[in-house]
Amino acid sequence: MTTTNQTISQSTGQTTDWNALDTETFRQTVRTFFEQNYPAEMRYPKTRLRWAEIKDWYMTLSKKGWIAPSWPQVHGGMGLSPEKLIVFIEEQERWGVGRAPDMGITMIGPLLIQYGSEEQQQKYLPKIIQGENIWCQGYSEPNAGSDLASLRTDAVEDGDDFIINGQKTWTTLAQDATHIFLLARTDKTVKKQEGISFLLADFTTPGITVRPIRNIAGHEEFCEVFFENVRVPKANLVGGLNQGWGIAKALLGFERIFLGSPKQSQYALSRVEEAAHALGLFGDQGFVDRYTQLQLDVADLSALYVRFVEQVKRGEKLGPDVSMLKVWAAETFSRLANLLVEITGGSGAVAGDIEVNGKKIDVLTSFYNARPATIYGGSSEIQRNILAASVLQLRS
Amino acid sequence: MNSDYLDTERQDNIRMLAESAQTFATKASPLTRARGLRGSASGFDRSFWGKLAEQGWTGLLIPEAFAGYGQGFGEMAAVVSALATQVAPEPVVPALVFASRAIEHTGNGDLQQQLLASIVAGELIPGVAWQEELAGLQVNLLASAVVAAPTNSGIQLTGEKHHVRPGADCDGFIVTAKQGNGLSLWWVPANATGVKVQSVALADGTSEASVRFDGVMLDGSQCLAQGDAATVAFTRAYDEALVMTGVELLALQQAMLNMTLEYLRTRVQFGKPIGSFQALQHRAVDLLIQQELTSSVLSQALVMLDGADSNAFERSAMASRVKARASDAGLLLARESIQLHGAIGFTDEYDLGLYVQRALVLSAWLGNAQMHRRRYANLTQMNTASV
Ligand SMILES: Cc1cc2nc3c(=O)[nH]c(=O)nc-3n(C[C@H](O)[C@H](O)[C@H](O)COP(=O)(O)OP(=O)(O)OC[C@H]3O[C@@H](n4cnc5c(N)ncnc54)[C@H](O)[C@@H]3O)c2cc1C
Repeated sequence: MTTTNQTISQSTGQTTDWNALDTETFRQTVRTFFEQNYPAEMRYPKTRLRWAEIKDWYMTLSKKGWIAPSWPQVHGGMGLSPEKLIVFIEEQERWGVGRAPDMGITMIGPLLIQYGSEEQQQKYLPKIIQGENIWCQGYSEPNAGSDLASLRTDAVEDGDDFIINGQKTWTTLAQDATHIFLLARTDKTVKKQEGISFLLADFTTPGITVRPIRNIAGHEEFCEVFFENVRVPKANLVGGLNQGWGIAKALLGFERIFLGSPKQSQYALSRVEEAAHALGLFGDQGFVDRYTQLQLDVADLSALYVRFVEQVKRGEKLGPDVSMLKVWAAETFSRLANLLVEITGGSGAVAGDIEVNGKKIDVLTSFYNARPATIYGGSSEIQRNILAASVLQLRS
Repeated sequence: MNSDYLDTERQDNIRMLAESAQTFATKASPLTRARGLRGSASGFDRSFWGKLAEQGWTGLLIPEAFAGYGQGFGEMAAVVSALATQVAPEPVVPALVFASRAIEHTGNGDLQQQLLASIVAGELIPGVAWQEELAGLQVNLLASAVVAAPTNSGIQLTGEKHHVRPGADCDGFIVTAKQGNGLSLWWVPANATGVKVQSVALADGTSEASVRFDGVMLDGSQCLAQGDAATVAFTRAYDEALVMTGVELLALQQAMLNMTLEYLRTRVQFGKPIGSFQALQHRAVDLLIQQELTSSVLSQALVMLDGADSNAFERSAMASRVKARASDAGLLLARESIQLHGAIGFTDEYDLGLYVQRALVLSAWLGNAQMHRRRYANLTQMNTASV
């Protein structure tokens, strides 16, 4: 694999070594680009944006060569160093840039870069960068949540294919996806973890049905996905047969890094800050004390994040300790969302925006989004179990 | 709620009322009704209000002298709690506690008589328009931006109030206004000229309103109270409403905890009920403790409200204590119940969300926990009732 520090921008043909820029220049470049190109009416969206809404922006980033900030440049990423990646995230959240369906960028892409065959990389990675393929994650099932290894969706070998039957659930934005990566049982005779394979499926394959589920914020952001005799070629197996659990665990590392990023906390912090200015709360010592505590929680979260991202960049494997990043990120976000509800006082249950001194305050979006943050990607309880057992060596 | 403080006969009566209220509420107001009314035009059902009147509950707290049943807060709490358990969206505490009590505590005989009789009959659903801060951490009970001022053609009411419940289909408002250096309380029908009601959608599918008074002309007969009498009447009704909102929040806490415990016992992961994991057992216990703290402070508060020997300052401090505990515990139960359920707790189709959203609404209404801790601090540090 050749390494290069240059991004080749498709529109201009120019190359940029982002890491060579000093932080301030890089920050200004990113900020200016977001301010000039991200549609104003889509700032700080209240819901996960649907593909139809965010597609243009995805394509804008894609053309600019910015759609995959953390991917190596050979695969079409920006190849950002951890410090630059933080700046990129901070600027994104400061400007309220909506999150595109990003399972391709954050999960399956990095996974294929590490574990996929050359053929799989060539087939899928460019289409992720170009916004042609939108991925969703099919792990959870009605009876396999925290206990993922008990999953029952099965894939039976049949000639050159697998035939998949079963049900996935809580699949985020499956209704907009073109592809799903999933875990399926390929051997029922062995220990649970040893009979699972990692498969890719195209949603146009006959036998797949998607049913959206409404969440408590009133939005359809996750789905049930049913598989009925769905035939996928064996070329869609990632890693070896029955090696899915190990691969999924490696992916969990990427997921925890992604979910452990200060993104959501930055978002909530900027919302609290804006609301507090509008409400004149920076003269209120009781508020300032709490705000500062949370501000430093976010700052130290960034420091912890950089530590783990650096580890990845050095090519080291992530250990179980990455769980602490996910716990702290999700819980910091949650505390900020609580503070926002609190300082909006009598308006703390208003369903839309309120307007104070000309500033719009979105009271509850952060509160709702903070709920699943401690549930998905391994709940806070599961992460603590991992930390207790595997880091602290406390076992029953 | 623990009601050991009461004589046995009254205790028995309250228990019976609580049982019959629960039976009625479960039957007449299943959760599907609450679910179906979310986001509807008024957010509640006026014909259901008629049923409450048939039960005698619209006049439960109102003295017999005003055609009511003259029952106490212990009795009212039984009804309020039963309806809250079913997440009934009708504005029981806003109209039948806050507004009714404000009217009752004032001295305008004719108007008082007429309004209370209509309330008992279930024909009138009033709200109280008092709060002027849209957001932030201040609770200012006394009006400053809404002013009743004399003009050549009479007294004119100007200004805007927020967070008025019910936010739609409200027949009229008890409005607190600044008049000279003091407070006055007015009855303003919702259809009076110059009244503009803007409904604001709330998390639970009901609404509150911002109500503007654009030079509304007031007749002397609409005045419920003025000066110290207005402050005393309003503050007392406000404190009573805080306590009864606490009763609702406790009912929600209990419903959420019950649902969560049931789920912990039945949901299996890793081959065991998740309730067998000690990490979750401890969390559930912490929720129980918060629920019981709420219940305990409420018991004291209800005794105080029903008794004769408390003063205004003690009632205010107690009411803020209740609202602070009940709101914080309500939100904690809401967040933790979702967490302990996992993804299913985050879906709209699962009933837990109904309780969660109502808890959000009630913890913010009349001031959230932080606001009431501040009010408590002000009250007790200054040792005065005028906050
Ligand atoms: C908004 C949202 C989006 C999601 N998107 C996706 C997606 O795109 N793809 C996908 O595959 N999945 C997705 N999920 C599912 C998510 O991964 C699961 O919700 C998660 O694994 C938890 O499983 P569960 O919901 O079944 O809860 P359960 O596993 O039933 O857990 C219920 C409660 O028990 C606790 N618990 C369970 N086991 C233990 C234990 N051993 N010790 C202590 N506590 C324990 C949990 O922490 C939780 O509090 C999503 C979930 C949400 C809420």
